[in-house]
Amino acid sequence: MERQKLIESLYRFAEIMVALIAGFAISGVIMWLGGYDPIKAYRAMLGTSILTTDPYNLAMTLSFSAPIMFTAITFAVGVRAGVFNIGAEGQMYVGALGAVLVAAMSLPGPLYLPLAILFGSLLGALWGAIAGVLKAYKGVNEVVSTIMLNWIAFWVVEYTRVDLLPNPRDPSKTIEMPEPGRLPILLKGTELTASIVLAVVVTLLSYYLLWHTVLGYEIRATGMNPRAARYGGINPERAVLWSFIIGGIAAGLAGVCEIAGRPPHYAITTGLSNLFGYGFDGITVSLIGANHPLGIIPAAIFVGGLTAGARGMQIVAGVPLEMVKAVQGVIIIALAVPGLLRLLKTRLTRGGG
Amino acid sequence: MDIGAIVEIARQTTYAMTPLVLAAIGEIVTEKAGVVNIGLEGIMLLSAFIAVYVAEVTGNPWLGLAAGTVLGAFIGVIHSMISNYLKGDQIISGLGVNLLALGLVPFGIEAVWHVRGYHTVPPEAKVPALPLLRISPVFLLTVLIAVATHYMLNNTGYGRKIRAVGENPEAADVVGVNVELVQTVATVYGAALAGLAGAFLSIDWLSSITKELSAGRGFIALALVNFANWNPLLALAGGALFGITWTAAEWLKIIPEIKAVVPISLLNTLPYIATLVVVAGFIGVSRPPAHIGRPYKRE
Amino acid sequence: MAAGSRGAEHLIEMRGITKIYPDGTVALRGVDFYVRRGEIHGLLGENGAGKTTLMKILSGLLRPTSGEIWVNGRKVSFKSASEALKMGIGMVHQHLALVQVFTVYENIVLGLKAEGDARLRIEKLMEETGLKVPLDVRIENLPFGVRQRAEILKMLYRNVDVLILDEPTTNLTPVETDELFETLRRLKNQGKTVIFITHKLREVLEVTDRVTVLRNGRVVGVVETSKATPQQLAKMMVGREVVFTVSKPPREPGEPILEVRDLWVRNDLGEWAVKGVSFTVKAGEIFGIAGVEGNGQSELIQAITGLRRPEKGRILLEGRDVTGFPPSKLYRMGLGHIPEDRQGLGLVLDMNVAENSILGVQRGRRFMGKFYNLLWSSIRRHASQIIERFAVVAPSLDAPVRSLSGGNQQKLVVGRELSKEPKLIVAAQPTRGLDVAATEYIRKLLVDMRTRGKAVLLVSADLDEVLQLSDRIAVMYEGEFMGIARPEELTREQIGMMMGGYRLAGG
Ligand SMILES: Nc1ncnc2c1ncn2[C@@H]1O[C@H](COP(=O)(O)OP(=O)(O)OP(=O)(O)O)[C@@H](O)[C@H]1O
Ligand SMILES: [Mg+2]
Repeated sequence: MERQKLIESLYRFAEIMVALIAGFAISGVIMWLGGYDPIKAYRAMLGTSILTTDPYNLAMTLSFSAPIMFTAITFAVGVRAGVFNIGAEGQMYVGALGAVLVAAMSLPGPLYLPLAILFGSLLGALWGAIAGVLKAYKGVNEVVSTIMLNWIAFWVVEYTRVDLLPNPRDPSKTIEMPEPGRLPILLKGTELTASIVLAVVVTLLSYYLLWHTVLGYEIRATGMNPRAARYGGINPERAVLWSFIIGGIAAGLAGVCEIAGRPPHYAITTGLSNLFGYGFDGITVSLIGANHPLGIIPAAIFVGGLTAGARGMQIVAGVPLEMVKAVQGVIIIALAVPGLLRLLKTRLTRGGG
Repeated sequence: MDIGAIVEIARQTTYAMTPLVLAAIGEIVTEKAGVVNIGLEGIMLLSAFIAVYVAEVTGNPWLGLAAGTVLGAFIGVIHSMISNYLKGDQIISGLGVNLLALGLVPFGIEAVWHVRGYHTVPPEAKVPALPLLRISPVFLLTVLIAVATHYMLNNTGYGRKIRAVGENPEAADVVGVNVELVQTVATVYGAALAGLAGAFLSIDWLSSITKELSAGRGFIALALVNFANWNPLLALAGGALFGITWTAAEWLKIIPEIKAVVPISLLNTLPYIATLVVVAGFIGVSRPPAHIGRPYKRE
Repeated sequence: MAAGSRGAEHLIEMRGITKIYPDGTVALRGVDFYVRRGEIHGLLGENGAGKTTLMKILSGLLRPTSGEIWVNGRKVSFKSASEALKMGIGMVHQHLALVQVFTVYENIVLGLKAEGDARLRIEKLMEETGLKVPLDVRIENLPFGVRQRAEILKMLYRNVDVLILDEPTTNLTPVETDELFETLRRLKNQGKTVIFITHKLREVLEVTDRVTVLRNGRVVGVVETSKATPQQLAKMMVGREVVFTVSKPPREPGEPILEVRDLWVRNDLGEWAVKGVSFTVKAGEIFGIAGVEGNGQSELIQAITGLRRPEKGRILLEGRDVTGFPPSKLYRMGLGHIPEDRQGLGLVLDMNVAENSILGVQRGRRFMGKFYNLLWSSIRRHASQIIERFAVVAPSLDAPVRSLSGGNQQKLVVGRELSKEPKLIVAAQPTRGLDVAATEYIRKLLVDMRTRGKAVLLVSADLDEVLQLSDRIAVMYEGEFMGIARPEELTREQIGMMMGGYRLAGG
């Protein structure tokens, strides 16, 4: 049994690898069509993020894996409960907003960080809970509702940035998190802060929650078979709602950490440009990590590496940053194919023999 | 408000509703065949991009519309392969398309026009409005498509096959209907219409291309499908309702009294809030096809 | 009439058919199956004997792992059901392959090119076969018996020569069953060939010309019906003399445990499914509910077990009003529920054995710590105990329940529910789909529980089961009880009448 389990995991791993390779290959062709050199681009991208010994680069990779580790938890907990919560983006926005609201208060120094964390995660949870209530008690498709909530969050936060809490010294961003409220920088001269520590801790906690608590048991039972869950004395609506709240907390923390833990801004910038996209990246991370917290940690480092390396790619090969998102898109499409590996094998053997 | 203003609002509503209705009608056909495509947003965005590119290179906006439609259809083929033949996860495939667009479009804008994030469509690449009425020919086409699709679904043999496949693919299979093929045709049709909607956004209505161009319209179209109870004619009517909130938001922004009280950013939330409210209010009244979203696997 | 030259003697010849399912289950082991033209051929066998599998192969739904099929002297190899249908072989499944939201007419002509004078031809067909169906009503608005007729019509309209019926009488009332048999005889007279799957001996003897008996994936015999006796068929089917009676020591019932008073329940469509049912189940008693499935039994059970809110009436557990209580509360008060749909309701198939062993009691003090944490070692011990005590065969505690056989899945459910030491056990179709050994074992457990003073509410579509186990019986028809009596007070005929909607005289 153990052996079979191991084989299954290895198989799954190989399948994910195939998807990653497909992602790079197809995107490479697109780059080439766009007139760029894909080999040069990938070498620069990976060489400045993961496949390097340069501590600066590695630190940047880790720093970018922190927010998407959080948002991946959002998606993964949703999937475990049987829903597609793609609202991490908006929940992260309001989480960041919560942190900025705290930053705008005048408080004793040591209070900033705990309050920001509290406020941010609360707002994230609330934002998630809206979609959760709509799903659980009204049957509203969560894919639609979370996207709507993402846009609403975007404009509400943008409104606060412009009208409520603009930075008096720099109109392109909000009020900054004051010094004492900032997460410590782990490596000087980089953006790597204690965010990553928080992210890993929360990820491990979510693992504990899902597999070692009653709530996790009930969430998973609901996701696998809501009718059986109801028979088992579980309230599936409540379990689904909990999954949205837990996911919202995780995404909210992602937002908080971007405010309290990312130099140099420590604030929300124009058009939410320093937040935009982390929520969607979390979906990629979760899917690559097989929607499992322990898979999410390496997956987040990988995708964080793509994000970090995108800058190197742009400088060296001139390829626009956003190309890494396209790579992610292709990877996900490839992951949607069941039994990718088996398929490939039969094709190859058929072609070869 | 005078007559002129009302006419103007109606005119603008025809623009705001067109992409929603096109995508929704397409998705209705797709879902009637039992397939869900949540990648509408991504298709719109990619097609919007290709439409600008083709229209500019050829100087012919009609070719731009065609290019958007064809690209949509092509993505539909990919989604069909994954969903219908390989029996993959339809939601994840759709998510992938959305993320792909989020990367490819800004990449493409920079690769083609060497600008970051925003490109304006030159006049010669724009779809001309109809004289006198000053509405888009694509709007008229949309009305036509709504009626034709409704007829096709309800009064033709093929429409019956599509509905049968989405309700009970096994029953259809046993009497010789090629389930996968019908699903593929329906999926490609839906994706093509989403592509046309995207092309309309860029080279007709908004005359620009950005990575935020579709602004959630693909997902609003999904909501509209639900709201319309999978009926193309109701989608047309519902689309008008959804379109009006968009137009209203734009109008409110230019009314000085309102502008003074409500900030523009907040007015931008109007269409999304409206969608949420409407969808929450109407759920349960509608009835989705019985076998929706699950791949059909023979034993 | 089936005589003729040797080559033409059999319309259908299946030779050496073996079927191994992808999961490794060997369903058929070299089956030879021959059907003569124009006969009604019975296919008899216990649950899991392979009847459905064999016929799915003949009708093109499944492909054999090995073996040959000959139709009308020609070797065939169907790639799909539609190919078989084109060759004149049609199968009517237990779950009918009809589009619910389509009308009967739309279903009949689905997928056909030219409709032309379809309507006329269908009406003529109805005339000839006696299969009367309203053509313009949606399937979902028709009762099961009528739907089945529509499905048969659909096949006949496509000119099938061979009609395969998979346990067609399961959901029919006795009257509808007679009508169906009448139709089958007519079809036979028109030259059609009928294959009739069942495990009911009486039906086989009544309507077939010949019978093939399957056991455990093998043919154990082919007999002319006119020369067969029920005892002989039963022995062939089960593989030993059937002397099956559960020994049930007499016991005086005690205090009332469950009281149901004038209960009214709606189904998912909002129609009344239970219409004013009242009864009491006492400690040390098995109260059986018989009836054709779909007459409100499911909704009644759901209301009693907290899965569906009743509209009117009262449910009392040990004298306490528990109407509308959620399942979790009822479990704490001593309810055990063996649900009819073990795979869809009683188990989470993708969870493992240990996880499933606590479904319903996961918040119990034994399994949950102070911080809402799961006490895994205690859970695993509990699971092992169930496996041991109830003889569940499972590869390990970490194996997903999906990988267990149906019988072992059911034993796990039964074991879990009984290990709660409940005061009231609600058992719905507890032995459906199980082999003899598992069936006997579970029936014995239920009787044990009763003898130990628990109250048991048994719902079963298997009349023999209800008759053998129950101390008192109610027959349910269209949401009402047609009567309540002790089993020895009733004849089979009386029960048959009640199942068809006649009230017990004086009851
Ligand atoms: N799809 C499947 N995958 C794996 N095993 C299967 C599948 N379908 C049936 N089986 C197994 O094959 C065997 C024969 O099943 P089959 O359904 O043919 O029996 P049956 O005689 O029709 O029984 P019943 O009277 O219960 O309908 C059983 O052991 C069953 O569990
Ligand atoms: Mg069977």
